[in-house]
Amino acid sequence: MSLHTLARTKRQEDDTNKMTTNPVIETINPSELPIPPEGAFRIIHACNKENSDAHQLGRLLERDPVLTIEILRIANSAYFGFSGKITTVSRAVAVIGQRTLRHIVLCVAMRDALKPGQLPALSVETFWTNALRRAVCARALATETGLDVDTSFTVGLLQDFGLLVLFYLNPHRIAEWPGLAELAPDDRYAMERQLFDTTHDQVGQQLAESWNLPQELSLAMGFHHRHPTYEIEESSATYCHIAQCADWMSAVFSCTDKRHSLGNCHALLEKHFDLPRSETDRLLSQTNEQLTEAAQAFGFDIGEQVSYAAVIRQANMRLLEENQNIQEMNWQLENVLKERDRVAAELKQELDLAREVQRSLLPMDNADQLKVFGINLSAKAVSGDFYDFLKLHNGKVAFCIADVSGKGMHAALLMAKTSSLFHCLGKSLHDPAKLLTMINREIVETSIHGMFITMAAGVIDPETSEVMLCNAGHLPVLRMRQSQPVGEYPALSPPLGIMPETMFRNETFNLKEDSLYLYTDGLLEAKVTAQERQGKERLLTLFGKYANKQPVERLQFIVADLRQQSEEIEDDMTLLLIEGTM
Amino acid sequence: MEYEIEEIKGYAIVHLKGDVDLSRSPFARKAILDCLQERKDVLVDLTAVTYIDSSGVASLVEGFQVSRRMSLDFALIGVSDAAMSVLQLARLDQVFPIFASLDARIAHTERRT
Repeated sequence: MSLHTLARTKRQEDDTNKMTTNPVIETINPSELPIPPEGAFRIIHACNKENSDAHQLGRLLERDPVLTIEILRIANSAYFGFSGKITTVSRAVAVIGQRTLRHIVLCVAMRDALKPGQLPALSVETFWTNALRRAVCARALATETGLDVDTSFTVGLLQDFGLLVLFYLNPHRIAEWPGLAELAPDDRYAMERQLFDTTHDQVGQQLAESWNLPQELSLAMGFHHRHPTYEIEESSATYCHIAQCADWMSAVFSCTDKRHSLGNCHALLEKHFDLPRSETDRLLSQTNEQLTEAAQAFGFDIGEQVSYAAVIRQANMRLLEENQNIQEMNWQLENVLKERDRVAAELKQELDLAREVQRSLLPMDNADQLKVFGINLSAKAVSGDFYDFLKLHNGKVAFCIADVSGKGMHAALLMAKTSSLFHCLGKSLHDPAKLLTMINREIVETSIHGMFITMAAGVIDPETSEVMLCNAGHLPVLRMRQSQPVGEYPALSPPLGIMPETMFRNETFNLKEDSLYLYTDGLLEAKVTAQERQGKERLLTLFGKYANKQPVERLQFIVADLRQQSEEIEDDMTLLLIEGTM
Repeated sequence: MEYEIEEIKGYAIVHLKGDVDLSRSPFARKAILDCLQERKDVLVDLTAVTYIDSSGVASLVEGFQVSRRMSLDFALIGVSDAAMSVLQLARLDQVFPIFASLDARIAHTERRT
């Protein structure tokens, strides 16, 4: 099985190969496609045979006088370097060789396959000018890298023939042609897909195979934009690279964005052929001269071409524009950042003020005298925790600790409301359960988003250490004797803010010389390590550790210890300490 | 993160799972409230909940409050140990109707009627 057949078979087996699955390709009827003249066809096939000799080819060519004259004219052109020396077909075959002859015949056949009259609205000249430029670029690249120049030239000339066929099959799309011709190869390829639902390389390869063109040609026509979907010979892969590079070299002259094309051109020639920028520039600077010679040889009217110096100027102008755009964007970015900093500063100022207001809600009484001490650290600028204590007119002290569900500003606002209610109503309502019932009704009336407040509130008589305590959904209140826990008072009722009819219950006890620790879950859940949290056992040990310190100092040491273990506070931390007296 | 909701025997069952914390509780809230807005009786399944914080509990509280205003049924079922310890500590087990399963909830309703 020949490699060509093998490749075809593999392609048929390859589900991902769009050649066989593309519905657009499958709908193309070969009889609708442009075909080369019959005489040219026979000669191409004869040239493909290894054993065909010069006489046989000569006889074939002589049957087509028009083609013969054209071949002799091209063979004698300056571009092929045999100026005026070849006078007969047999001589042409002998002097320029079957291989070169085959490529000349092929190029002429393809040139004539689609004549300008067949697509009146399409500028066929523009197409062939670009095709011929690709051809001379491919030939120059082959000369530079020691590859076959004739094959490379033909590859360059035919690689985009599929595009012409696509317009031939879709004449209603012809208005798109001028715009398409000015695009860089990658953008043009994407646009083709949008316009035709297929691309020129797929159509080109199918065409080449249906005409039985040499394998290196059909593969280069099929895979100069995408990687082959099956293994191909190294020499064929090289012609694919030649076609790809020639495409970008030609685009430097034809497309609008010259900086983009020039950049890609330098990168691709270095990648595939190890050519430094200076060598690529040298090849590009010779392109126009070679194009003019080739156009004369093949009888193309290419008109005036943009010089490489002009290309460089345009590319540099584009670079300058892009730099200016970048400077403009940098300037805009700087302004946005300044605005962001200004808004952030304003927001911080607002939060600092809110924090100050919130701080003012915490008690300022003489704590030593009342034997009640508190400390609060907020995870955010404002806190959802709070504590309060106040001296009542009967000499007793009312106190509370509370934690609003959630965090941040909305928790802080509810905290402010609740603490105000406690401070205001607590002055006249000395029964904690009744006080919480009142506060609860107020909160429930306006509660939103299911927010609730856990609160432990009480009243202590500093003279007798008698305590009346009401725990509404808050963590158990801890009783310590020196460094040892001796009891706790868990919640007997649900939190505030949930149901208006909630019944709150007091419990009374004498604190004697023990201490009560009321705390929020920020202390329990403070991180000890990245994975481990404080937990109740560790917290009890921590309380015991500083039991011999004076109350204010004790709170500071406990909080400092917690902060030492974890740099960032994830949750608000509030601790209230009540000291009993005998 | 979307929580699974299924409808069985006239109840919309919202299956919460994993950690229901500050970052995930908005999804729990939306799932519960969406069902209530459609005037469905809601059971929140906490079988697969590994942790619930106060924002997660607030989502349940809001569902409970809205259901009361709309005279719809709202209960918790299959409460995991992790979730139950939080609810009990705050005495929220006095607030929410809690049942072992959907069948237990249905049996309870039938006994009352």
